[in-house]
Amino acid sequence: MAQQQIKVGDTLPTVSLKYCPYDPELKNACGIPQVLSTDSFKGKKVIIFGVPGAFTPTCNNNHLPEYHEKYQDLAKKGVDQVVCISTADAFVMDAWGKWTNVSDKVIMAADGNGDFVKATGLVQDLTKVGMGAVRSKRFAMVVEDMKVTYIGVETQFGVSVSGAGAVLAKL
Amino acid sequence: MTQIKVGDTLPSVSLKYCPYDPSLEHACGIPQNLDISSLKGKKVVIFGVPGAFTPTCNNQHLPEFRQKYDEFVKKGVDQIICLATSDAFVMDAWGKWTKSNDKIILAADGNGEFVTATGLVQDLTKVGFGAIRSKRFALIADDLKVTYLGVETASGVSVSGADAVLAAL
Repeated sequence: MAQQQIKVGDTLPTVSLKYCPYDPELKNACGIPQVLSTDSFKGKKVIIFGVPGAFTPTCNNNHLPEYHEKYQDLAKKGVDQVVCISTADAFVMDAWGKWTNVSDKVIMAADGNGDFVKATGLVQDLTKVGMGAVRSKRFAMVVEDMKVTYIGVETQFGVSVSGAGAVLAKL
Repeated sequence: MTQIKVGDTLPSVSLKYCPYDPSLEHACGIPQNLDISSLKGKKVVIFGVPGAFTPTCNNQHLPEFRQKYDEFVKKGVDQIICLATSDAFVMDAWGKWTKSNDKIILAADGNGEFVTATGLVQDLTKVGFGAIRSKRFALIADDLKVTYLGVETASGVSVSGADAVLAAL
């Protein structure tokens, strides 16, 4: 039975993601991926936005860069962390973060087993385009002290309700 | 699926890849199909890695094949294909990152069809890599028939490395 999609008012599930902590010295690849538990968002105002795939055109050229560009605007509105999530592993996410130069502004988090997207009902099957059965939908959510206060899930191509602009308008 | 062995025929599956285009610095265009059946009549090396951008794959396995490319050509190899269960965009980016995509075809087995059909799939859920990953391997296929197969059973690159494959050619 597929999990129902998370909605405003729900509590974020406790899930462990992985990420490679930003280190300006490490130009190639990352060291050992660290665990990032969603529990660590307690007491914080966090933006989590999900992308179907690292390095894919829309994700790479639109979705991620917008969040990087608007980081200061988001911080001014009290956002503590901006987290980008996909079902790629931590090494791919780390490389993508370096490729797009987000440095320490966006946490590139790996939901490598799809635990987060499954638990929040934000998973999609992209087997028909050769991307496997466990991919994130394109979404963005605002989470305040573990409670979802905004969620925007794209229903077609492109970035609208899941984009940095839409999220800023809601803060 | 039992593991493929020497003498077997490669399965007829489709991979995806982004054709090499030196003018495309960022991302790739539309991924193209790479049908295994198109390897008919050719001598090819296919090596599989658990993950693009991961330390061993990135620092050792892929670069070795790229560095020794000309030696493979001298021994009659028509194509060298690097395969992982990532999608074509990740494989393309990795090829650019390692500057190997001019000579090595970075192919995506995004749904895991090739690794599942050849019994070369491994479940890496316990390290957060999901259930469908390639084992680390290398094979030589001559007119679609496997003439060499080396599958690693421990960390690192030995029987699946460029030197081992060159020695088998």
